Amino acid sequence: MIQPLTEIKPYTLTPGADGLIETQTLEVSIGPQHPSTHGVFRMDCVLDGETVVALKPVMGYLHRNHEQLAERMVWLGSMPYTDRLDYFNSMTNNWAYALAVEKLAGIKVPERAEYVRVIMSELTRLLNHTCVIGFMLQDLGAWGTPLLYAFREREKILDLFEAVSGSRMMCNYMRFGGVRVNPTDKDLAVAKDIVSRYPGFLDEFEKLLTSNEVLLARTQRVGILPKELAINGSISGPMARASGVEYDVRKVDKYGVYGRFDFRVPVGDVGDVYDRYYVRVLEMRESVKILQQALRDIPQGPHIAPEVKLRNFKIPPGDGYGRVEAPKGELGFYLVSDEGGKQPYRYHVRPPSFINLTTLEDMCLGHKVADVVIVLGSIDIVLGEVDR
Amino acid sequence: MGFIGKGLLEGMVVTARNFVGSYFDKDRLVTVQYPEERVQVPENSRTFPFLVYDDDKDPAGTMRCVACKICETDCPPQCIYIVMDRDEKGKPMQRPKVFDIDISVCMQCQICVEVCPFDAIKMDNDYEKSQYGRFDDLVEHLPDLLKSNEYYNKIKPTEATAVDAKLKADREKKAKKTAPAAAKPAAPAAPKPAAVPVPPKPAAVAVAPAAKLVIPEDAPFTPEQRQWLSGFLSAASVGTAPVAGVPATPAPAVAPAETPVAAAPAAEAATAAAPAGNWAWHDPGLGMQQRLDLAKDAPLADKLMAAMAQTDCHACGYDCRGYADAIGSGAETDLSLCLPGEAETANMLKKLMEEAGKG
Repeated sequence: MIQPLTEIKPYTLTPGADGLIETQTLEVSIGPQHPSTHGVFRMDCVLDGETVVALKPVMGYLHRNHEQLAERMVWLGSMPYTDRLDYFNSMTNNWAYALAVEKLAGIKVPERAEYVRVIMSELTRLLNHTCVIGFMLQDLGAWGTPLLYAFREREKILDLFEAVSGSRMMCNYMRFGGVRVNPTDKDLAVAKDIVSRYPGFLDEFEKLLTSNEVLLARTQRVGILPKELAINGSISGPMARASGVEYDVRKVDKYGVYGRFDFRVPVGDVGDVYDRYYVRVLEMRESVKILQQALRDIPQGPHIAPEVKLRNFKIPPGDGYGRVEAPKGELGFYLVSDEGGKQPYRYHVRPPSFINLTTLEDMCLGHKVADVVIVLGSIDIVLGEVDR
Repeated sequence: MGFIGKGLLEGMVVTARNFVGSYFDKDRLVTVQYPEERVQVPENSRTFPFLVYDDDKDPAGTMRCVACKICETDCPPQCIYIVMDRDEKGKPMQRPKVFDIDISVCMQCQICVEVCPFDAIKMDNDYEKSQYGRFDDLVEHLPDLLKSNEYYNKIKPTEATAVDAKLKADREKKAKKTAPAAAKPAAPAAPKPAAVPVPPKPAAVAVAPAAKLVIPEDAPFTPEQRQWLSGFLSAASVGTAPVAGVPATPAPAVAPAETPVAAAPAAEAATAAAPAGNWAWHDPGLGMQQRLDLAKDAPLADKLMAAMAQTDCHACGYDCRGYADAIGSGAETDLSLCLPGEAETANMLKKLMEEAGKG
């Protein structure tokens, strides 16, 4: 039995010329099978006419016991499961988990592996942001066109992932102390080709969207997330940056070899849906810059630390938190190893889309029900990660 | 910005360019008409695992899998089920009787391939696996899983060539070690063709019990020679070369370079390099009791080693010698790590440790 969010009571609008108009609020459940919820996610909206007066996100439909499973498995065993968290960005998920384990076990990653990780993660960021913009436009009613352009570009990156890691989306590519497969020169040449063409695609994409009057009308001043709320709600990623919070784990932590690259962190000032769209576009341009530098500087050498055992991998007792700037925000893994050290004693994921989703109601109040869908789209959630 | 609607018009120009371009420009024309046209899958591409065998004439006899169960243990979603084959006397035969993969559970993560020390399980790239049934049709059994080394070479040439070269190098290393020892020219595995890394397993083993082969008391041998000979003869009696080789020196530590797929007669190799480490029992073809008999008078670590399955599969993290030494020295306290030995080995190890007063 679901409790109604608000007491349903009749109230009075300004009386018209011909007497009183009595209306009441209406509770609408959007989802869990609604296509615009990007998966199995439900929003309990209370509407006054078309205006949202209360909204409760309901999640958990895709819960798969990820953390508990990981605590029952050897360290390596949960690596393929991390692919299935945010199934758009398996490379960054892998990296976050590998980084946490490496911190905990004190493993040093070879130079080339660090570069390969950067290249793969930035390509992931490109494909994620491109597709998110496509989905957002789909939610706006731009049926097909931007999304299919996005998918066309994404396909090239996925083909590269398949050639390198063996799988398009469930890459399972990183290992503790490096990456599983050393990319060949041919793979890197393909990556270079993708990167060199990407700015051209972005220009075209932007011409289609950025100054489009319909997009401007639908997104500007919609779903504003104030800077204070973004900080208090521990929002991260493009969403926080669109609200003016200059916070990027790549800059703050400089994990991997990110300290060596010259790139900037785009920051928005209003924090509305349009800013979140545009911050993502700018971020892609910065990613292209990082990729160009990484592909230029990548050294030869081993792709994985040779001393790391694949089986019977044990970690001395302790705890560690590894975090990366995933395309959706700060993705962190908190791991505790106890005696024996064969498997995690505690395994906790800090999923960016779950935490970013918590401010949904604040952004939607006072807007029309049609805007809820865009606001949700601009948060960029993947339910695999929200529910785990 | 000029006038209202300029952005819209610009966007429409982009759409028009893409529309027209899709007739001429290959970059904009990306659709593949699937059943008629197919995209060539990359070499690394992976779908579901299969088991490699070497000889088309005898797939079941030349499969590389020795049923060590490492993949079964390490499979994250636990989709592999293995039962080791045993002969009528209950002796393990170093090959699976049952090898099932539930492909509705398999998540194509490739961890089984990475952990296999015998290069026996590899990833296929066949993506057309639809079946009518939901349950039994999606479980692949041993005959469905067996595919030839040629097939593996065809779908993944680079990887397979590297694997073949590695297996060949291992074999040659073993043969080289064996060669100087051969006062008796008994290196049966040396002339094997390159594509056959594992000698055929005993298909139907008719074993003369090892006890029968003990050299007569009056034979003119030193005790060392006698011990080696009895080991060698018992190995020869099972009609095959043992599957597992032996490190040249009895290394107590892990020797990761040692790949256990070897074709050299174990006892011989041991004698060649280190007469002190002539492990007569280091032969997966022998039964538990036979192995223990051979190690009857040996020190504790040797007895412990004799209780193991002798596949040197590294499932425990050591080779058989290393695991025995680690248990003997107290560095390793877990007695249940020998996967191919199953409960038999674990129980025997426990018994031996108790007998030695260390349990």
